[in-house]
Amino acid sequence: MNNNIYTPQLARIKSARDEADGIKSFTLEFEDEKLRESFSHRPGQFIELTVFGVGEAPISITSSPADKGFLEISVVNVGEVTAALHLKKEGELVGLRGPYGNGFPFDDVKGRDILFVAGGIGLAPLRPLINQMFADRDSFRKMTILYGARTPGLLCFREDLTAWAAQKDSTVLLTVDAPDEGWQGNVGVVTSLLPKVEIDAGRTTAFVCGPPIMIHFVIHDLVTRGFAEDDIITSMERRMECGLGKCGHCSIGTAEVCADGPVFSYGQLKELKESI
Amino acid sequence: MRVLNKENAAKFLEELGSQYKVVVPLQSGGELTFGDPDLHHQIIDYKGITHYSPKGYFFPESEALFTFEISGQGKTETISIKEHVDETKRIIWGIRPCDLNAIKVLDAIFFSDPVDPYYQARRMNTLLFALNCNEAGKTCFCNSVNAGPFAHEGFDLGFTDLGDEFLVEIGSEAGKKLVEEHSAFFSDASNEQEEKAKALEEKSKRSFASSLDVEKLKAKLPDAFSSPLWDEQVTKCKICGTCSFVCPTCHCFNIEDLKRSKKVVQRMRYWDSCQLSGFTQMAGHNSRPNQAERWRQKILDKFLYLPSTYGGLIGCVGCGRCVDFCQADLKIVDVLGRVADE
Repeated sequence: MNNNIYTPQLARIKSARDEADGIKSFTLEFEDEKLRESFSHRPGQFIELTVFGVGEAPISITSSPADKGFLEISVVNVGEVTAALHLKKEGELVGLRGPYGNGFPFDDVKGRDILFVAGGIGLAPLRPLINQMFADRDSFRKMTILYGARTPGLLCFREDLTAWAAQKDSTVLLTVDAPDEGWQGNVGVVTSLLPKVEIDAGRTTAFVCGPPIMIHFVIHDLVTRGFAEDDIITSMERRMECGLGKCGHCSIGTAEVCADGPVFSYGQLKELKESI
Repeated sequence: MRVLNKENAAKFLEELGSQYKVVVPLQSGGELTFGDPDLHHQIIDYKGITHYSPKGYFFPESEALFTFEISGQGKTETISIKEHVDETKRIIWGIRPCDLNAIKVLDAIFFSDPVDPYYQARRMNTLLFALNCNEAGKTCFCNSVNAGPFAHEGFDLGFTDLGDEFLVEIGSEAGKKLVEEHSAFFSDASNEQEEKAKALEEKSKRSFASSLDVEKLKAKLPDAFSSPLWDEQVTKCKICGTCSFVCPTCHCFNIEDLKRSKKVVQRMRYWDSCQLSGFTQMAGHNSRPNQAERWRQKILDKFLYLPSTYGGLIGCVGCGRCVDFCQADLKIVDVLGRVADE
C-alpha cells in the first residue's frame, strides 16, 4: 500500500439514496480488499472525499466502527464537491483518505447520562457515536437525543431516530423551525426542547453538533443549567484542505481543527480564543 | 575553514552542474530571483536579497501532486493514480541566512508527523549553499529574530564574501565530501582571513536600520488578542496576499483538481494566503470574516502560535520582503513594535 499521505484510495459507491431534502447518503466500499478489512475509525472522525476532477472535501463518517467492509457518509449539496457527489451513481468511483481527527470520547464517558443536541446535518457525526453507545447499552445510563431541523423534510436518519427511541431508558425529541401540514411535533429551535427533558447536569455529558449559531446557544443554555465546561463536547467545522495539520486553513490559535480536533470540549474551546 | 577564490567558485559550481541542477540568483525580467543559470551569467556574489526566497524549490507555488486517469464508466469505471514526486538533485547557491532559517520553519511543519512526501523528496535531494550578508538591507531585521546576518549552521556549505574570495564553512558530511572531491579549488584559510570574516560579521550586525525587541514582544503577545491595534493597522491593507507569497516561511496551501481533458485530471497544490477572505470560507460561513482578524492571525501565528507548537521557533526570519512588497506600506516591525510597547 502506498504511503503517500495525500493519495486518495479508490472506493466504489454501493448505494446512493436520498436522506433528506438536499441531503444524500452513500455507502462506499474500498476497491482494495485488504483496506476493507484494515480500515478502522472512531465516531467523530472524518475522511477527505475525492470526486475526481472536482476536488476534495472533509466529510464525517456516519457508519459505526463495528460496520466492517463499508463506510457510510451523508452529504448536503452545498459546495462544488458535494454537488458533484450528488450526481454520482451507484457503481461509480470516488476517492477517500483518512480517517482524520481525534473523534469523540467514549470510554471516558462510560457510566454517565448522555445528552445529544443536534441540528440538521449535525446529527451525521453523532450517528456512529449514538449507535456505538446503544451497542454497549449497559455502559451508559440515560440517553437523551434532542434533534432539530429547519423543516421536517430536513430531518435525517429517520429510521435511526425511531430505533433509538425504542431503546430502553432512551428519549428522542424532535423539533422543526418551520412545520409543514403533517408535522405534529414541537416547533422551535432545538434549545426549546431542553426544558422538556429532565437533565442532571452533574452526571451528564452533552454532545452538541450543528451550525455555529446553534452550538453557541446550546452551550449557553447548558452552562446556565450547571454543566461543567468539560462535560460539553462539540465538533468544530472549519475550511480544510489537507486534513493533516499542514495547510493552515483550519488553524485556531495553536490547534489545527483537522488534527487536534474536530472534537473539543467547551473548556478547550474557551482557551482557543477564535473558536466560538 | 577553507578559502575559495571567486574564479574557482564559478568553476566549482560549473563542475557540480554535471551531477546536480545548480540554482543561483540571477537577474530575470528586471528582478533578482533564483533560477537555473546560463552558466556564463551566474551571479556568484550579489547584494541584497532575491525577490522570492528559494522556498519554491521545496514547496513550489504550484505543483502537480497526482495525475488521475479515468477509464470506463459506471460499474466498470477504473482510475489510475500516478504520483509526481520530484527527486531532482539540486544545489542552491547563495541562500541568505534569513532564507536558510526559513527552511528550518518549513522543515518543522512539513517533516512533523505525518511527513509530507513532496517536500521531503525535494528537501532530501537538495544541498544548501549559504551566503552571509555583509550589509543589512533597509528593511531587514533578521538579527532581531536570530536569523542572520551570518549563519554558522543549517547549511551544507556556508560562504562569506571576503572581496576576492569566499571563506568556506563546512556544515554537513555532504558539504565536506563536495569540498574533498573538488579540493583543487580550495585552500586552507589563514588566521587573517578568518579574522576578516569575523570583522565583517560584526560590521554587518551594526548595519541594521530596522529592529525588533522580541523578548518584550513575546511577553505582550499572549494578551494582545483583543488589542484595538489590529483594526487600526489594517485599514490600509489592500488584501492582495502579496506578503504571504513573498514570505519565506508561509506554508499554507490549497489542493485543487485541474481537468486536463475529460479523462485526465491533475491534482494540484497551490500556495494560499491567510490574508485572503476565501482562506476560511466554507459553504455558507466564514470563520474569519474581516481583515483585522486575518492580519492578527498572520502575526500571532508567526510570533506566538508557531513558536508554542515548535519549541520556540519563530515563524518570521526578518527578511523584510513583506515590507518591501506591501502595496499599502504596512511595516511588520512597526506593528510589532507598537504591540510590544502597548
